[in-house]
Amino acid sequence: MNNIYKPQEAIVEDIIVESPTIKTLVLKPREEFEFRTGQFIELTLPGIGEAPFTPSSDPNVKDKIDVTIMNVGRVTSLLHAGSKNISLGIRGPYGKGYPLDDFEGKDILIVGGGVGLAPLRSLLFSLFAEIDKYNKVVLRYGARTPDDIIYKESLPRWAKKKKVDVVTTVDVGSSRWKGNVGLVTTILKDLPVDLKKAISIVCGPPIMMKFVTLKLLDLGFKPSQIFLSMEKNMSCGLGKCGHCRIGSYYICKDGPVFTYEQLKDIHGIWD
Amino acid sequence: MPDIYYINSGQLNTFFHNLKKKYKVFSPTAKEPNFTKETDYSYKDLPGGEPFVFNPYRPVEPLKAFFTYTQDKAAEYFDQDTIEDLPPTIIFGVKSCDIAGHKVQDFVFLEGAEVDTSTSLSINGERSRTIDSLYRLRRDNTILVSSDCTDFKEVCHCLAWEILPHPTEGFDLNLSPLNEGYLVEVNSPKGKDLIQQYKEYFVIAKDTQVAARKVKRDNLIERLKKHLLPQHLVSKDIVQRLMQEGYNLDTWQQFMLTCVECGGCNFICDTCHCFLLTDKKEGSINKRLKLWDACLYANYARVAGGANPLKRRAERLRFRFTKKFDFFVDNLGMPACCGCGRCIEVCPGKIDIREVLKDLAKKLQH
Repeated sequence: MNNIYKPQEAIVEDIIVESPTIKTLVLKPREEFEFRTGQFIELTLPGIGEAPFTPSSDPNVKDKIDVTIMNVGRVTSLLHAGSKNISLGIRGPYGKGYPLDDFEGKDILIVGGGVGLAPLRSLLFSLFAEIDKYNKVVLRYGARTPDDIIYKESLPRWAKKKKVDVVTTVDVGSSRWKGNVGLVTTILKDLPVDLKKAISIVCGPPIMMKFVTLKLLDLGFKPSQIFLSMEKNMSCGLGKCGHCRIGSYYICKDGPVFTYEQLKDIHGIWD
Repeated sequence: MPDIYYINSGQLNTFFHNLKKKYKVFSPTAKEPNFTKETDYSYKDLPGGEPFVFNPYRPVEPLKAFFTYTQDKAAEYFDQDTIEDLPPTIIFGVKSCDIAGHKVQDFVFLEGAEVDTSTSLSINGERSRTIDSLYRLRRDNTILVSSDCTDFKEVCHCLAWEILPHPTEGFDLNLSPLNEGYLVEVNSPKGKDLIQQYKEYFVIAKDTQVAARKVKRDNLIERLKKHLLPQHLVSKDIVQRLMQEGYNLDTWQQFMLTCVECGGCNFICDTCHCFLLTDKKEGSINKRLKLWDACLYANYARVAGGANPLKRRAERLRFRFTKKFDFFVDNLGMPACCGCGRCIEVCPGKIDIREVLKDLAKKLQH
């Protein structure tokens, strides 16, 4: 009997410390696990609980999945305390993910905030794998402090790729930080994108998504050109448990990626 | 021509008792009479020998309680498998409102898939990534014997949602009291199969009997209409607009003042389906449980890190209403209220779904 609530086992193969509050777990599932970039999974700490995460790894890799986790709650703090070789559970993938076909031939602006870069890394891997299909990739990333930046070694590597443009900022600098200081909205000017053939993708905490969306609208992006990765407490992942409803959508089933066009008339989307 | 039979009361009792030899049979029983209020009926798995009781209106319990339990084992992991031994079950006394409400449960747990009404009560081995297989098993394993309402409770308001007080679809067999017995309408292969097994008790209904059934049904509809007319209830076609236009009205705050966050309205509701998945360890086995959840609970929408998009009680009341009257109108084409009035009876704060809707309509001048 197929059981939609039952996780399959995945072993933690490696743990990468990304920042003082963020770690990436490299998981090896028992069976190959396929997902499309932007879809999410439910990660189980056996006997303790479950929480939703969007994989941060390359979807073309089927035998391993990276999950980048910020230590914010009950399950995540225990996941942070875990060690290599422990057994976890995964279910999924759920939701619709990013519509890569719609991005072909476009200038793709990606705006990330904090741990919100995690799902975007998976998207970047997908775009890099077929970079000829896209016009250019423009990444704008903001973190709270220099220490809070994740994928510290990857960011400069990505910046050197052809057709890729990366700018990073921090809300609060430090004596050693030579880069931009200011909220991510401050690095959204003079963007090297042609609005006529651009789309934007935003992922980060709700307050950041709200102000970035307003900024993008201000810059002339249409609501249909803005893709948002929404989050609520997705639990079942299948539009049954009810928790992640906004308006007439379930984030787990109809999202988690929505265009702002789909959401703009719904009350409370940034709450 | 529908497939309709007649059975007299004595034969029905024999049929009822014989069913218990083969099936687990739930049927309504009257609760202790209480002269301060209407008699309530409750589903019981009665021992053989107890006579069949006809309930004139819906029982206290929502129909969903037979298909999702307050606490279910959702899974064991990783290697163990969840297997439940299910006796074939028959439920008597189900009413039209319950069947209408149950469409919502089927939509949620079966992803809109058709319920299997094939002749045998077989375990359906369907593999699907979105169907709740335990729900499917219980659904396939159950025969619904509904019946016409012959009376109504003060809180009953099915007609406001254009639901008739007698079932027209979704049942396997339906009983309509007539003279010294019942007309039995067959509506599914499962129901047909049951009649076939016990065909000695049933005779084909006469046209005059079917006509008499219609007269009785029409009479009750008229009585219920008279009961509802002075209430000036909100109609089905404006309810979605009330949700959209009334989002920021003070109605939510006003009606929430007496809410004690017991979740009773959610649990007793025929259409509420939310659940919580929770994990626990029992020895070397990890268990995942599925518990009924309530959107009126403070932590319903809380996310990791403590943020809660539904912090205020008024926001949660509005969430309950917009789910029923906006989300389900968009996604299922019907409001998720069947007018059973259970939430009105259960609420210690006397929050009345009819009054909330009327207040919105009044303030929006609809």
